[in-house]
Amino acid sequence: MSDITETHINYYGKQPADLIEERETKRPLTPRAKVARDLYLEAKSSVSLEFPYWYTRRWEELDGEIPITRRAEAMKAGFMHLTPAIFPGELLSMGKAAFLRGSFPMPWLSEAFFMAAEDKLYKEAQESGKLTADSFTTMGKGGGNVTKSIGKVISIAGKFGVRVEEMPIMIEVAKKWKDKSVDDVGHKYEQLVPGYSEKEALMRSVICMFDSGYTLPQGREVMNYYYPLQFGIDDLINQCRESIAEVAGYPDMDRLYFFRATIIMLEGLQHWIRNYSEEALFLASIETEEKQKSEYLEMADRLDWISSKPPRSFHDALQMIWTFHVAVLNEDAISGLSPGRVGQVLYPFWKRDIKNGVINQEKTIELLECMRVKFTEIDCFASMGVVGGVLSGNTFNNLCIGGLLKDGTSAANELEMLIIEAGISCDTPQPTLSMLYDEKLPEEFLLKGVECTKIGTGYPAWVNNQGAMEFLVNNYGHEGMSIEEARAWAIGGCLETSPGSWAPLELDGEIHWIPGGSAPATSVGVHFLSLPKILEVTLFDGMDMRSGQRIFPSHGYKLNTYIELWQAFRDYFSRACHVLTLTNNIQHDAWRKISPSLINSMLKPDCLAKGKDIGQMGSRYNTTFNIESCGTANLVNSLAALKQNVYTEKYYSLDEYRSALLANFGYCTAQETGSYSLVDQVPTDNYHQWKKIHKQSLDAPKFGNDNPFADAIMKEWEDWFCEMAHDYRSLYDQPMYACQISVSTHGPMGAVTLAGPDGRLCGTTFSDGSVSAYPGTDKNGPYALFNSATCWNHSLSQNSQLNMKIHPSVVKGRQGSRKFLELIRAYLRKGGFHVQFNIVDSRMLKQAQAEPEKYRSLLVRVAGFTQYWVELGKQIQDEVIARTEYEEL
Amino acid sequence: MNYTCRDCRYYLPVDAFMGMCKKSKEKILPDDAFCAQAEKIAKCKFCTNYSENRDYLGKCMEISLAYPDMIAAKCADFKWLGLN
Repeated sequence: MSDITETHINYYGKQPADLIEERETKRPLTPRAKVARDLYLEAKSSVSLEFPYWYTRRWEELDGEIPITRRAEAMKAGFMHLTPAIFPGELLSMGKAAFLRGSFPMPWLSEAFFMAAEDKLYKEAQESGKLTADSFTTMGKGGGNVTKSIGKVISIAGKFGVRVEEMPIMIEVAKKWKDKSVDDVGHKYEQLVPGYSEKEALMRSVICMFDSGYTLPQGREVMNYYYPLQFGIDDLINQCRESIAEVAGYPDMDRLYFFRATIIMLEGLQHWIRNYSEEALFLASIETEEKQKSEYLEMADRLDWISSKPPRSFHDALQMIWTFHVAVLNEDAISGLSPGRVGQVLYPFWKRDIKNGVINQEKTIELLECMRVKFTEIDCFASMGVVGGVLSGNTFNNLCIGGLLKDGTSAANELEMLIIEAGISCDTPQPTLSMLYDEKLPEEFLLKGVECTKIGTGYPAWVNNQGAMEFLVNNYGHEGMSIEEARAWAIGGCLETSPGSWAPLELDGEIHWIPGGSAPATSVGVHFLSLPKILEVTLFDGMDMRSGQRIFPSHGYKLNTYIELWQAFRDYFSRACHVLTLTNNIQHDAWRKISPSLINSMLKPDCLAKGKDIGQMGSRYNTTFNIESCGTANLVNSLAALKQNVYTEKYYSLDEYRSALLANFGYCTAQETGSYSLVDQVPTDNYHQWKKIHKQSLDAPKFGNDNPFADAIMKEWEDWFCEMAHDYRSLYDQPMYACQISVSTHGPMGAVTLAGPDGRLCGTTFSDGSVSAYPGTDKNGPYALFNSATCWNHSLSQNSQLNMKIHPSVVKGRQGSRKFLELIRAYLRKGGFHVQFNIVDSRMLKQAQAEPEKYRSLLVRVAGFTQYWVELGKQIQDEVIARTEYEEL
Repeated sequence: MNYTCRDCRYYLPVDAFMGMCKKSKEKILPDDAFCAQAEKIAKCKFCTNYSENRDYLGKCMEISLAYPDMIAAKCADFKWLGLN
């Protein structure tokens, strides 16, 4: 360990180093779910080519057709030809592709990552700077990732395996989309934006992490299952036929094409579902074991039924929402497609089944566990930079519990209690849970949530219901958002506050108002901006000193005062937002023209009523674009250090600081040491030359300690950022807003950033989230951290994110649970938007890093999501280990 | 032609490396040889409409790009080789 650990960082706390505290014991999962989960843990992420092959083939056949009809026909062909795969013991079936963790490339979005390294197209893509983030991302080395080619399986992006027999067709299909994909078409037009070269420089320097306009054009939003649950597919097709009769030949003809395309798409889904039904019948025909045979037959009947009709039971309804969830996932590269408030949506079906003796609690738990495994099987095919660097292989299917009903009373119910219970017994990354905390929620319900968080799953995360509603009314009020409608919200993706609405589900003559997502993706906008890197470029007058390339023109300030520094930083940040907003708008425009959403559009109110897809603002709410930041605490700490050490106390000149940063304070870089945590960094021989300035940088006021000096800087940044984001207009001509989650970008973004004035060293991972303290620097206890974190108004932003690591011994037993709940309450009552926890001993994580094979099922909370430890990249593993560990509350 | 489990209608792929027999539910490898109970699944390479151009690539009805290992169980134009 270096001097850093001994003098400045609160690392493992005071527990004996050789004593590893286990997490609180959890209950076992049902035998059926165990079989399914064990098979999942064995399976590798695998790619199949059926869908892209048939999609592309049909697309080519229909050259000249109306684009949205062509798209619908292509999707229909893709779904119809997917080979059904049903695994023994499953109660819920259907998946993205035939493999258990199956996914497939979508070259109509981007074809670049199919190409082998020597391929000319791949090189072109690299030269354009688009794949630079890949170079600085380390995928997890274990678990289900295919990190290298083995035998007849080729590794793609360090994550997916494809059979060698399918590799040539993958390349050939991809080539058919050259100059036609959303990526290529968008790129052609984005270059027309004045100052486009600045955008390229921002991507190459990894100041911006990825092109959200086409890489993940949907997601970070909440599903709406109302229409299929209420009407069934046959009825929806009939409704579209009736709508066609009303609009055909009248002005605004796009409605005609939308309804026609929706019918084609729904017919494709019917084929797909019925293919599964036929497969279940086939399996029943060869099955010798009676119980399994009977289950196959029931499955066949269920699938056949929901291919046409609305569900008859809770089990039917659960299968139906899963089917539509997968269907949407197959229409685009999507991460963060959240099922939303499933326990409230399905409650009427469940309650009826309980009343009629069709189901009991045990059977419900089993079904919910099976649902958890199915959601965990979801993979998203994208490039390594996106899948690893941004997503950590996670798909962010967030299921929300709690919150309020339409009438303002508590929405918690018995089914949600069982959802939590299944989350305890079947601890899998998906769906992650978020508790929409409201003072009206019953104590028993909250304690159940605490019980789940305590076992170390990282879920539920705890989010502020009233704060989210305030944000929604403020930002969607001009589109008609009322307080009542705001209550229908849920988290989309890991932590994006997403608007919802209430729909009248009629069951046995009774109306149940169910919530559902009512807006398109919040995954689109300016994503993500590295705040510490922009400060670095500010200090060096527009230059990226790592690469030697100029990013921005000279800012023209001498930086003689802190006010000048702050102004120069804001100027550069604004420049980045400007060019990235415009280029992103063009990319997303190419997406909505070439690859419009059909399935998600059909599901989202009010697309069917308006006859417009979500790309044509068919949704009820459309103000969803955002500007995402990364590295907030490092920015604030760096500004605090400069303000104190350069401008107030004048210990050092800015030039002296620049020299120290370039010299990495006399340390080796993180790449050289092979660790991305500050505590593990190794001094060089000339360390003593920089020791004093480094110490004073580390000792400067730090965010997270209730320190007015640092917190004032945080507040100034937040007030400005949340306001300036409204100055940028989305593709839909709506104001954008601030979004403050790091996901996993704090790893690769840290990797390309020099040492910071806060004492952080070159290449080490940034702080996670947006109000998390930098690991080891919050030394005054959790309540001091809460005071710092809430020094600004969180409802100005789509979110804020606070991660905490608590030693398992602190929250043990019933008393520990109550203490834990009070801690959570204290933060949310102060106005904090979100807090989530790792209840884990850091020593266990260290051991798991050294011996991953012994920890295949270990889960940790990263930044808005839970992931298997062995599937995380090392940059993120090191950061999670280094987080401050609280040993007392 | 040497057939492997991947060519069998009872093969259930778990991932690109491993599968399961739909009958016995035992774990099997995709490149294991056909067993006595194996039956071919409809694939392009077993179809009269398929012609191979080069390794792992060919044509369907001399028009569309195709590949030999694609499962064609849901293809309306599939015709078993050797059957008229």
